[in-house]
Amino acid sequence: MATPPSELRELQNLFYQAIVPHAQQASPQIAKLPVQTSIDQLATQIRSQDNLGFEQGLAAYQGSVMGKLTRALEEIYPVCCRLVGPEFFAAMSRVYVRQHPSRSPDLGDYGSQLPSFLEQFEPAAALPYLPDVARLEWSWHRAFNAMDQPGLDFQALGSIPQEQWGQIRFELPHSSVLLASRYPIHRIWQANQPDNAESAQVNLDQAGAQLLIWRDRLETRIDLPNEADWQLLQAFAAGHPFGEICAQFLDQEPTLDVATRLPVWVQRGWIAGFLIEDMDD
Amino acid sequence: MGTVVTSKMAPRPSPRIQGVGIGLRSQHYAHLLTHQPDVPWLEALSDNYLGGGLPIHHLEQIRAIYPLTLHGVGLSLGSVDPINRDYLNRLKTLADRIEPAHISDHLCWSSVQGDYFNDLAPLPYTEAVLDYVADRILQVQEFLGCRILIENLSPYLQFRHNSLTEWDFIATLVNKADCDLLLDINNVYVNAVNHGFDPLDYLHAIPPERVKEIHLAGYEDQGGFLFDTHGYPVQAGVWQLYQVALEQFGPVPTLIEWDTDIPTFEVLMAEAKKASGYWPRD
Repeated sequence: MATPPSELRELQNLFYQAIVPHAQQASPQIAKLPVQTSIDQLATQIRSQDNLGFEQGLAAYQGSVMGKLTRALEEIYPVCCRLVGPEFFAAMSRVYVRQHPSRSPDLGDYGSQLPSFLEQFEPAAALPYLPDVARLEWSWHRAFNAMDQPGLDFQALGSIPQEQWGQIRFELPHSSVLLASRYPIHRIWQANQPDNAESAQVNLDQAGAQLLIWRDRLETRIDLPNEADWQLLQAFAAGHPFGEICAQFLDQEPTLDVATRLPVWVQRGWIAGFLIEDMDD
Repeated sequence: MGTVVTSKMAPRPSPRIQGVGIGLRSQHYAHLLTHQPDVPWLEALSDNYLGGGLPIHHLEQIRAIYPLTLHGVGLSLGSVDPINRDYLNRLKTLADRIEPAHISDHLCWSSVQGDYFNDLAPLPYTEAVLDYVADRILQVQEFLGCRILIENLSPYLQFRHNSLTEWDFIATLVNKADCDLLLDINNVYVNAVNHGFDPLDYLHAIPPERVKEIHLAGYEDQGGFLFDTHGYPVQAGVWQLYQVALEQFGPVPTLIEWDTDIPTFEVLMAEAKKASGYWPRD
C-alpha cells in the first residue's frame, strides 16, 4: 500500500478547510485553523492565473460544495421544504451544512441528523411537528433506497422442528422503521405529496401516529398498525425469541394470540427473515 | 498491493459501445422504456444505483434494451484517505449486476479524514502524487477485475507545486496505472481558457490508444472565466476541439452530458446527432 506524499496530506487538509464551511466541526484529526487563516495559507499554494483569480476559484468550490449538500437535503426532505417554504428551507439547510460534515461518498447518506437539528432550530419552533415529519421523510428515503432483501425462506422455516419454534427470532424487513409521533405526521405527509388529490387541511388535534415505514419489493410503504400489532412489532424489532413474545402477550390485557397473527404478518411481508441460535452454531 | 500488481488488466469483456450516447437521467426513464428511442448507448451515474428498489430495477429494465456504462464521483482516487472499501464493494456489486461496457470516475479527491465534500477537487501534478495515484488506481482495478477509465477535471485552482502539466501528468499516469482515459473535451476547453494554455498541446500529449470515451457538455461563461455546469448546449469552441480530437483519436464513443436544467430527451438527441455529424462518413 503506497504512503501518500506528506505534502499532499497538508495540501488536502488546507484545501478542505478553506473550501468547506463546516470543516471547523469536522473530525478531530483535522488540524483546525481559523477559516481566514486556512484561506490565506491556501492562497500561497495557488498558482496565479490570468483569467481566473484565487478568490473566484475559491468561491466556485465553496458555492459548489454548499450547493451539492443543500440540494441533497432538498431532495430527501421535500415535504419539510414545502411546509416551511423553499427560501426558509434553503437558509436552514445552509446552517445545517455548516454544522454537519458529510461522512459518505454517497449524497443519499447526507442529512440523517436533520430531524434532531430541527428540534433545536429556533426559527422553526412554530411548527412543532416538523422534526417528526423530517423523521418520516428520512425513514421513507432510507426504505426507498435500501438494499434488496430476499423474501422469507419458507423451506428453511418449515425444516425447524416444532420443539425449537420458541427459539426463533423473527426479523422485520431491513428497510423497516417504527415511528411514533404525537402529531398526525402521515396525514401531513400525504397532504403534501405532489399527487395529493384530497384536502390539504390536516387537523393537528387528531390523534398522533404509529407508523411502520418499509419497502415491499419495489413499493415503499407507510403502514398504520393497530395498537396490538404496534406492540408486537416493537417486540419483534427488539429481537426477542418467539416463545418469550408469545408468553408476554398472553400475560397482558387485552391478550393477543401471537401465533394467529404470525401468518397474517408473513402474508403482509412484515416478516422478512428469522434467526435461530442452534442453526447459527 | 498496488506496486506488486504486474499482470495487465483487461478491459471489461462486454458489451461494446459505439457512436454517440446520452447520459441517463431519471426524468427520461419513462420515455426510454416506452418509446425505445434510437440511442446507441447510455451512461448511468453509478452513485444513483448503489442501493436497491426502484432505481436499480429501472436500470435493469433499461439495461435490457441499451448497452450501459457506469460513471461515478465517489472513488476519491487522489485522496490521502484509505480507499473506501464499502463504496468499492457497492460499486462492484452494481457492476456485477449491470455488466457495464466500462466503469469510470474522476482524477480527483473528495475526502479528508473521512469527511466528504462530495465535489471533485484537483490534485497537484508532481511525480510523487503521480506514483501515489497510479498505485491507488491499480488497487481499484485489481478489486474490480477490470480497467477503469479516469476523467480529466476542470479545476478552478492550480497548485504552485505543479512540476508537470496536466496533460503530461495524465499521459504518464494512464500508462503507469494501466488504466484508460475518459477525455472530457469540454473540460480541456474550459481549462485552456481559464488557465491560459493551448488545448491542442493537451490533446497532442494524450496517448490515443488509451482514450476509450469522450464527454461533451456545455459550460457557463461567468464573465472572465468558464464554469463547467453541464447545464447548456455544447459551445462552438468545444465542437471545434471535438473535431480535432476525433481526427487524432479516431471514432471514440462519445457522450452528451447534461446535469442541471435537464431538457427533454429530444434536445439531448439533437445534441447527439450534432456530435455524430462530426464523425467521418463510412
